[in-house]
Parts: sequence; structure tokens; C-alpha cells
Amino acid sequence: MLEVNGLVKRYGDVVALAGLDLQVGSGEVVGLVGHNGAGKTTAVEVVLGLVRPDEGSVRVGGVDALVEPRKARALTGVAAQDLQLYVTATVRQNLALCAGLAGLGRHAADEALEEVGLAEVADRRVTVLSGGQRRRVQAACALLGRPPLLLLDEPTVGADPQTRSALLAAIRRRADEGAAVLYTTHYLPELVELGATIAAVRAGRVVARGSQSELLAGLPARVVVELDEPGRTHDEPPAGLVGQPAERDGDAWVIRTRDPGGTLAGLVRAGSLPRRVDVQRASLDDLYESLEAEVRHAA
Amino acid sequence: MPRDTSTGRVTAMTRMGFTLLLREPGPIVSRLVMPVILMSLLAPLYRAAADRGTERAVAGQAVMFSLLAMFLVGQGIMSERTWRTWDRLRCSPTSPAEMLAAKAVPPLGFLVAQQAVVLGVGAALLGLRVHHLGLLLATEAAWVVMLLAVGMALATLVRSPAELVAAQDVGGLVLTGLGGALVPLALLPHAAQRIAPVSPGYWGLNGLLAALDGDGPAVARSVVVLGAIALAAWAVAVWRVRRGWSRRDLM
Repeated sequence: MLEVNGLVKRYGDVVALAGLDLQVGSGEVVGLVGHNGAGKTTAVEVVLGLVRPDEGSVRVGGVDALVEPRKARALTGVAAQDLQLYVTATVRQNLALCAGLAGLGRHAADEALEEVGLAEVADRRVTVLSGGQRRRVQAACALLGRPPLLLLDEPTVGADPQTRSALLAAIRRRADEGAAVLYTTHYLPELVELGATIAAVRAGRVVARGSQSELLAGLPARVVVELDEPGRTHDEPPAGLVGQPAERDGDAWVIRTRDPGGTLAGLVRAGSLPRRVDVQRASLDDLYESLEAEVRHAA
Repeated sequence: MPRDTSTGRVTAMTRMGFTLLLREPGPIVSRLVMPVILMSLLAPLYRAAADRGTERAVAGQAVMFSLLAMFLVGQGIMSERTWRTWDRLRCSPTSPAEMLAAKAVPPLGFLVAQQAVVLGVGAALLGLRVHHLGLLLATEAAWVVMLLAVGMALATLVRSPAELVAAQDVGGLVLTGLGGALVPLALLPHAAQRIAPVSPGYWGLNGLLAALDGDGPAVARSVVVLGAIALAAWAVAVWRVRRGWSRRDLM
């Protein structure tokens, strides 16, 4: 449904996109992740035709989005990172506009209001809504009319857990119905909940793509242990941790290891008794760090 | 069945435009009442100071307060840019021309009502005589379209609401003061009289006065000049919207 090839976009000396490739199939959710400034939002803006790339191609449902942007936009539902709402108008009026732009009737707006749980506040002005409710209005506009492609740029920023959960459920339903979803976020748990394929972006290009387990496999876990260590100075690692990459963090020791069980067993064998143990699996941040390290190594 | 047409999109955007305009009715009401009061007060002075004083008083106020349309359309576009709703419209199948046309309709509706009130009150209470209604309507149409197009071009070119206010202040002064709407042209300094034709207001006012007299050729000249300015401003606005604004150069 979405095919992006070799996108390059420069702003003066700044390279926002450096040959970005990306494909999203029907029924697939692809989570675009990366640090701020990695190029995620620029990529979305290029797909929407808001920004003209210097090089590359974008096809939406077989339509060349750079040649026929309006045709491509007609196939796309969008929830941008910035809230794009008429704040002095009511929720219903905002949705009616979105429906009108998509060539849909008011019933479609009402349906979207129900889906995101905003029917009760439909006649309130946006300006009196909470941040989470505003996010729902924005998402409802994107979901209107069941477009075959959804571009959702950090749609849950600032949303409370209830709103986040409701939005993710609605997005998942759309994917199950066959929509292709491109979803940018900094929250890995959201992508897990959506069952998304992860595409990691760094310096304007996709540097890794796969499921969460594929991408995080092999990355070291973070083991935090507090030990009963009467009479021992705090700066020296206990016998069980000698030779391991251990760092002091207050009263605890933090060890990065691919074998948490072996590390803990070694501690016990050496006579150190853990008072508290916390094993944290590799996270998105660890993935970023790993990718950065790979790039530095390659350079 | 989806009604994915240009008319459907423009209708939806226009409906929202009226909603937003009517949320803040203060400027509209004041600009309906003020020209009527001012021209009633100024008509005796104009009659004493210049030929065709009644016509100059009514046409001058019609021109001066019609600038509100330029402000309304400009502020409407600037609000959309500030709220980022402009980007929402640009993300839809809507074309730049459709977006601008939809933004122009509510101020146009207000302006038609305002001009009808001003000229109607002028005719009913101050003795204004219209020799050729068709010529008057043609001049009004050209003037109004020019105002809306210039308002749209300004709002798409500036970088912030403050810049828009400054541009509209300067533009308003050029359109009214230099055009002879505030003070009859004959009473302005000679140098100002010589450069007055650079002001679209000059052509608007002259066109209105010529229309009131039934002077077809003079009306035609004004309509052509105003139409050309409108066309150029419209082209600039469409080009600017099509090009868009990146996140770094918008305010």
C-alpha cells in the first residue's frame, strides 16, 4: 500500500532524509522509531506531499504521490504530531469538516465519534476539552471513512492511559480490516500492543527493521542488584561481579549482561546475597544505543 | 455514497469559515454600524469642501470600511496557520485554489451585506443617486475580489500574526488614505495626488464615483486595473499555499 524508495531531503546543510526506504503492506502496522530529529516526521510529511523531496519516490496504493498528491491523499488518513483542530468550533463541527473533505456524510462523523468515545462531548468546543480528548478528535479525523493507509505521527503524545488504550484499539481494528498503518512513536510498548513491525530510523534512513523480538534479540539485559555486604567498601564490586561490566548506582550494582541467570548464580556462588534483584529486558533505548555504536564502529 | 467533489470540499470548508466568523461577531457589527454613522456626519462637511460631497462621503466610507474584508480573510488564514489546521487541509485532497476560495466566501458574504447597507442608507437618507446600478455592481465586484485576493496574498506571505497586522495597517493606509477615501483627493497635497494611482483604493473610489455617474469607460478602466491586481494577488497566494511552509520557517 505504501512504497517509499530512496527519499532524500535537505534543508540547506542539514540532511533530514538520506535515502529512506520503507514499505507498508495492507493489514500491516509499521512503527517508525528513532530519536528526535531522526527524520520520522519529515518522512511522513513527504508521503503527504507537504514537503517535496530532493530525490526518491513515494507510491500510495499504486499512485505516484509526488505526481498525483491529491489522489494519494484521498487514500490516506492522517493524525499529525501537532494538534490540528479548530479550537473555537465544536468537536462535531471539526469532524463534519473532516468528513466533508473526505467526501463523506455526517453519519461518518458520528460513527467516528462513537468509535473514539467522544459522543458525549460532541457539542462542546475543542477549547474546553482535555488534552487526551483533543487527541481523540484528531485521531477520529484520521479514521474517518476507513482510508486504506493511515499515517499516525505520535498520535498519543500527552494522552492518558485510557485514551491511549482506546486509540490503540481503534488503530488495531483498522489494521485488522486491512488498512496499512505507519505509526511513529517513542513508546515501544505501544508498538508491542499494536503487533507492529519496527523500523528504526537514524540520520534520515531506516537502519533496522523487524519484530521487537528480532531487533532486541542479542541485546544485553540490565540487571540491578542490591546486596547484603556488611563490612565491605562500596567502591569495590563483590567477588561474583569481578570481570563483569558492573557500575555502582547508589546502593545498587547495575550489570549489563546477555545471561542474567548466570550472573545471579555467580553472585550467590561467591557468597553475595542479593537483597533486591531487578532484571530489565533490553529496551528501545538500548536498541538506539546499539545502532549508534554500530555506526560509530563502522565509521 | 461519498461525494468527493470540489463543491463538497469547498462547502465543508465554507461552513466552518462561517462558524468561526460568527464566533467573533464584534468586528462585523462595528463595521456595519460605523460607516453609516461616519458618512452621516461627514456628508455635510464633504458637501461644503468639494464637488459631489454626498457621493464622496458615501463612496469613501464604503471603500474605507470594506477593508474589513481584507482583514477578515487575512486573519482567517493566519488563524488556520497558527492552529495548524491549514496543514490538515493540505493533507486532504483539497487544492490550494479550493482552500483559498473557501476562505474567501464568508468575508465576501459579509462584504456584500455591508456595501448594500452603506449604499442603501446613502441613497435613502443622504440623497445618493445611482445612475447605473449595473456599473455600480461591476465596480463593487472588482473592488471586493481585489480586496480578498490581496488579503489572502498578505496572509500567506507573512511569517506571524504581528507581521500580518503591520502589513494590513500599511496596506490599509495605502488603500484608503492615498486612494482618497479618507480625505477627498483634491484636498491632498499635490505630490500625493500624483502618486495616488498606485493605490488600488484610487481605482476603487474612482470606479464607484464613475459608476454613480453612469460613466461606463471610467468604470471599465477601474475594473480592469482592479481585476489585474486581484489576479496577480490570487496567483501569489495560490503559489504560496502550494509551496507550503516548513516547520522551521512558520512563526
